[in-house]
Amino acid sequence: MMSAILLIAIPLLAAFLSILSKKIAPALLLLVGAANIVLLMFIPSEIVVIGGFDLPYGINLLMDSYARIALYLVNGLFFVVAILNVVEYKKLSSILLVALAALNGLLLTGDLFNLFVFLEVAGIAAYLITTTNKKPLSTFNYLVIGTVGSSLYLFGLMILYGMFGTLNMMDLINEIQTTGTAYGSLILPFFLMFIGLGIEAKLLPFNAWVKGILKHSNTLSGPMVASVYAATISLMFGRLVHNLFAFEGKLLTVVVVLLIAGVILGEAMAFSSKKAREILLFSSISQACITVLLFINGIIVWAVYLVIANALSKLVLYLVVNKATESTNSDDVDELKGLFANNILVGIAFTVAALSVMGLPLFVGFVVKLNYLTQLAVAGQLVVVALILVSSVVEGIYFVKLLIKLWYAGEKEVNVQFNLPYKAVFAVITLMIVLFGLYTAPLDSLDNSIDSVQDQIEVIYHG
Amino acid sequence: MIQYAAILLMMIGLYGLLTNRNVIKIIVSLNVLEIGLNIFIISIGFIYDGIAPILTSTNNSSGLIFVDPLPQALVLTAIVIGVGTTALGLAIVKSIYSKYKTLEIDEMEEA
Repeated sequence: MMSAILLIAIPLLAAFLSILSKKIAPALLLLVGAANIVLLMFIPSEIVVIGGFDLPYGINLLMDSYARIALYLVNGLFFVVAILNVVEYKKLSSILLVALAALNGLLLTGDLFNLFVFLEVAGIAAYLITTTNKKPLSTFNYLVIGTVGSSLYLFGLMILYGMFGTLNMMDLINEIQTTGTAYGSLILPFFLMFIGLGIEAKLLPFNAWVKGILKHSNTLSGPMVASVYAATISLMFGRLVHNLFAFEGKLLTVVVVLLIAGVILGEAMAFSSKKAREILLFSSISQACITVLLFINGIIVWAVYLVIANALSKLVLYLVVNKATESTNSDDVDELKGLFANNILVGIAFTVAALSVMGLPLFVGFVVKLNYLTQLAVAGQLVVVALILVSSVVEGIYFVKLLIKLWYAGEKEVNVQFNLPYKAVFAVITLMIVLFGLYTAPLDSLDNSIDSVQDQIEVIYHG
Repeated sequence: MIQYAAILLMMIGLYGLLTNRNVIKIIVSLNVLEIGLNIFIISIGFIYDGIAPILTSTNNSSGLIFVDPLPQALVLTAIVIGVGTTALGLAIVKSIYSKYKTLEIDEMEEA
């Protein structure tokens, strides 16, 4: 019988084995990366009880549609990034295996302390991955800010443990609902946990580490942090925001204002930047804030699609920009003028990904944006809709400016070689973005019930 | 009462993080914050007059008052993670020093 625990245990075992023999480490990484994706097809949707300790006494893993979609996305993206970098960064194979185990754990675990452990393990792997940027001070800042974030999360969690005597997410939600605890007494722990996770999720104003890391990123650290880690943290964070935090009252106002400020300031900073990687990183900050806004408003399915669309688009954008930066030693947009003149296929992939992030018709980004804006409007959040639309205009301007510069040659010829695996990845992702932009039936087939935490609580605690 | 002391220790750690510009002192501040947090976790499980949660030939009645063992298990994990992070932080400090020949952030130039 296949169990979801294998998705964590196999990469962790492979990480230990890879330390014993450095030669087999890259092969193990690719083998385990591919095996995890295949394994996912055979794992049933269930609650996995670990060590025979029933809920809420032991750690449990929740495998539902939400976790399955998240795992397919994260394992798929991870495998692609690993394939493209396994030769150049083979020394990091063991660390990448630990990262894979931790990311899968973050998406599966139903225990909030276990989540802290996975957060720290994923964090330590991320710090090591970012050492490849050769900017140790930025990595040090990331480590300090990340550790403070995890500590705040743990502090909030311990206050909740003191109040309710449980660490299990479903048991905690049930306790809060059945005891009728006033929301006012939950504000402090929830806000501490929100800040702690917000640091990892790149939410303004807790994201001081992002600039140092992504501004100097390479073909491994850029896509890994901006695409794979960002998708994992957003989806894990979304589950907690929707089910556990369920913001209300003044806390809701504070959080929404913070997130809207993040959306607008992120786009404004991207607009004013002249460096390609800075433009992308500020755009990521803005998109992360929009995702959390959707989760807060209960628009689960479109938030998930937004995370998927962004993760795919950002993978292409960061791979192109980081590969070009490696060849030209500069990510100044003026230095990269005419990058696509000799790389038409890559140029098309980059353009499609950028236009999809902007939300133009024919691409999946449009379908997602149209649907979440409609649902926000239905929910009465007209101010939020207006502000997102304004920020989209700003986003459109800087992306079009970037595209024009990259397509039209400048005084100096820019020659960057993209090898076949890169082109294959770009082609597949471009096709997916266009396909799901035109054929939307599969997207409409899912609804907010993909997240089954509330249903599970009903079954377990109320028969 | 011990919880106030733990929170005070965390605040001292946070103050150190915000005011220090030396990377080693920043790591020390981070450890002070973590120790404060660990004491806070332990204090959550404290019960006045409670005994260690171990069943022995003399302490074998469920009628006895035991302290909550779960925070003690949690704090062990938190300590191990803290040590790992500190070790990694110090390794990064070593590479910072090799690159900049200083531990003062203000004297480093990293665009």
